[in-house]
Amino acid sequence: MTDIQQTVYIVEDDEAVRDSLELLLKSDGKSVKPYENAMAFLKDYSDQMAGCIVLDIRMPGMDGMELQKKLNEKHSILPIIFVTGHGDVPMAVDAMKEGAVDFIQKPYREEALLEKIEAALAQDREQRKSLDEKQEIIRRIKTLTPREHEIMDRMIAGQANKVIAIELEISQRTVEIHRSRVMHKMGTHSLAHLVRMVLSVKDLIDAR
Amino acid sequence: MTESVSANSEVTVLLVDDNPQNLKVLYETLKDKGYRLLIANEGEKALDLAHRHQPEVILLDIMMPEMDGYEVCQRLKADPATADCAVVFLSALDDLQAKVKGFSLGGADYISKPFQSLEVIARVKTHAQVIRLERQLQARNRELQSDQTRILNSISEGIYGLDEHGNIEFVNPAAALIARSTVDELVGRNFFELHFPDSQESDTLPVQATCRQGVAENQRNIPMARVDGSRFPAEYRATPKLDNEELHGAVVVFRDITTDLENEAALEEAQALVQEQRDQLAHTSRLTTMGEMAAGFAHEVNQPLTAITNYARVAKRIMSKQEAPDMSLLAETMDKIEAQSHRASEIIRRIRRFVKKPATGKEILSVPALLEDTRQFAEVDMRNNEGGIELMVPDALPDVLADPIQVQQVALNLIRNALEASRSASVVQPVKVSAELDGAGCVRVQVRDHGVGLPEDAEEKLFLPFYTTKSDGMGIGLATCRSLIQAQGGDIGFDRPEDGGACFYFTLPVAGEERALSAANGAE
Repeated sequence: MTDIQQTVYIVEDDEAVRDSLELLLKSDGKSVKPYENAMAFLKDYSDQMAGCIVLDIRMPGMDGMELQKKLNEKHSILPIIFVTGHGDVPMAVDAMKEGAVDFIQKPYREEALLEKIEAALAQDREQRKSLDEKQEIIRRIKTLTPREHEIMDRMIAGQANKVIAIELEISQRTVEIHRSRVMHKMGTHSLAHLVRMVLSVKDLIDAR
Repeated sequence: MTESVSANSEVTVLLVDDNPQNLKVLYETLKDKGYRLLIANEGEKALDLAHRHQPEVILLDIMMPEMDGYEVCQRLKADPATADCAVVFLSALDDLQAKVKGFSLGGADYISKPFQSLEVIARVKTHAQVIRLERQLQARNRELQSDQTRILNSISEGIYGLDEHGNIEFVNPAAALIARSTVDELVGRNFFELHFPDSQESDTLPVQATCRQGVAENQRNIPMARVDGSRFPAEYRATPKLDNEELHGAVVVFRDITTDLENEAALEEAQALVQEQRDQLAHTSRLTTMGEMAAGFAHEVNQPLTAITNYARVAKRIMSKQEAPDMSLLAETMDKIEAQSHRASEIIRRIRRFVKKPATGKEILSVPALLEDTRQFAEVDMRNNEGGIELMVPDALPDVLADPIQVQQVALNLIRNALEASRSASVVQPVKVSAELDGAGCVRVQVRDHGVGLPEDAEEKLFLPFYTTKSDGMGIGLATCRSLIQAQGGDIGFDRPEDGGACFYFTLPVAGEERALSAANGAE
């Protein structure tokens, strides 16, 4: 999952704004997908989507803020750039608190918008990369046998082989074999690296 | 009256004779008839008694020493106090000449001596009755005359009686006061020369037609001169004075309307001020509305501007391509830019027209077009409304006569209120705007929502200034709406629909209908 195609999702009720933005981003070589309202996007949403959302804050029916809430409920990590009008700053501040990456005020300069979109896409890539790495770690952890998992936990806690052997009432030799299997399955040679890897996914594991 | 006379009450009879025997006989004859009887045996005494008691009847002997009956009679007739009493001469002189002389001096009757008592009684009775009736009549006349004089004197309007040449025959005190003169000075002067001194011979003067042709006149604000040469604006009515269909001049009733005109001018000024303030308030209220909608408008204008910026960038990219630029795509993009700039200028035009200061005045309006325009206007504000606005207007609706901006202001106010009420109640039903022809020559526009509804005391208070049910309201909107609609000759009000929400309506008079126009004027 290295070089996934990123798409800019435009959610904008105004046809002219939507159409012109689509043309503009396409002419810049971006993959673009326009939606004319929040409901249409929500229906289409999947966690496989990569890229960012350019979201109009004011829309009839479901507005941008509501869509952001709905996406947060779905644990979406798609970065959102809110497009605001004059006088919408308080709304934009609320949106930022809810985790939006940025906002831009209409009418905007192309450079500013593209810059923000680039930043959002980079953030998306980062998040996706680290997410991929974590998922790899979790996948590896899942390949461990219960005994191996237990021994890994004790290794991370800093117990020496001898202590582990005594406490588990097995031979020190057996501990050593398990230990090398854990290192092999987790794809590392260093205990320090193993500790870092496991701690990085601790929250994800705890969440399960 | 006849009864009282037959009873002879209050009737005084004076008996005058130098002969005591005669006096005695007369006294005996009349004493039981109920008269008050006075007796004199000589002329001077008779005159004195008559002057003091003013008897109805005097039986007067002709042949008397000192002053004879003729002289007594003459002097009685000369004294206004006794001039009206009936003098009945008594004399043995039964000749024609003596009788004629007696009548010529004012005598009423003649009784010859020796008299018959029945004759004396009958004649005294007759004359007493005549004099009594005459005196009553005179008293009544005096009463009437003084009534008339009192009335004419107390009228504050000036009254002239003119002959056919315009010469003043009668003046009441008010007329003299207005002309700054006296009644005596004015009588005999010529009305036209006095009050219209600068007029030319050829001019047709006020009241002339009444004096000459018997045509009644009624005019206002006519400049008239006073005796001192100053002028005053007058209102007058001239009525021909007719006697058996023959013209005898005119009666002119007039007054000085200086104060009236001043009051009218002040009233007009006050009305103009009220109108101006109403327009000012309406304008302020429109500006307030625009202020409330500012964010919406900024958004509305920013949409096409954003699109234009984007399209322009796209166009530049197309042109900067190394290989041959796609001219048809470029043209398409340019067309889009043009369309968006029209869109932006249309929004700005609409705002400008709405906040334009002076009301444009009444014109013939198409209600569906006005409502469609207003709906687009209001949509700026309804981005958070799920239901939106639904417009239902029949095709065949007559035009109305009204001020377009003020009507739009009212419609916008009602629609925005309805949107707000719907929003507060989080309802999904749209705000329904409809128009129809009502029975009374008016177009009725209705704005119906399913929102929070109206408070209980809305009937008494809703259209009053400073009454509001909104936490951030000023209470100006509906009060202004009412004054604006009334100025169009229409009506504004609301109903409480059974299934909740509120329904506001206003009416506008159909253009060209007499009834509608007069109603419009009546409301001014």
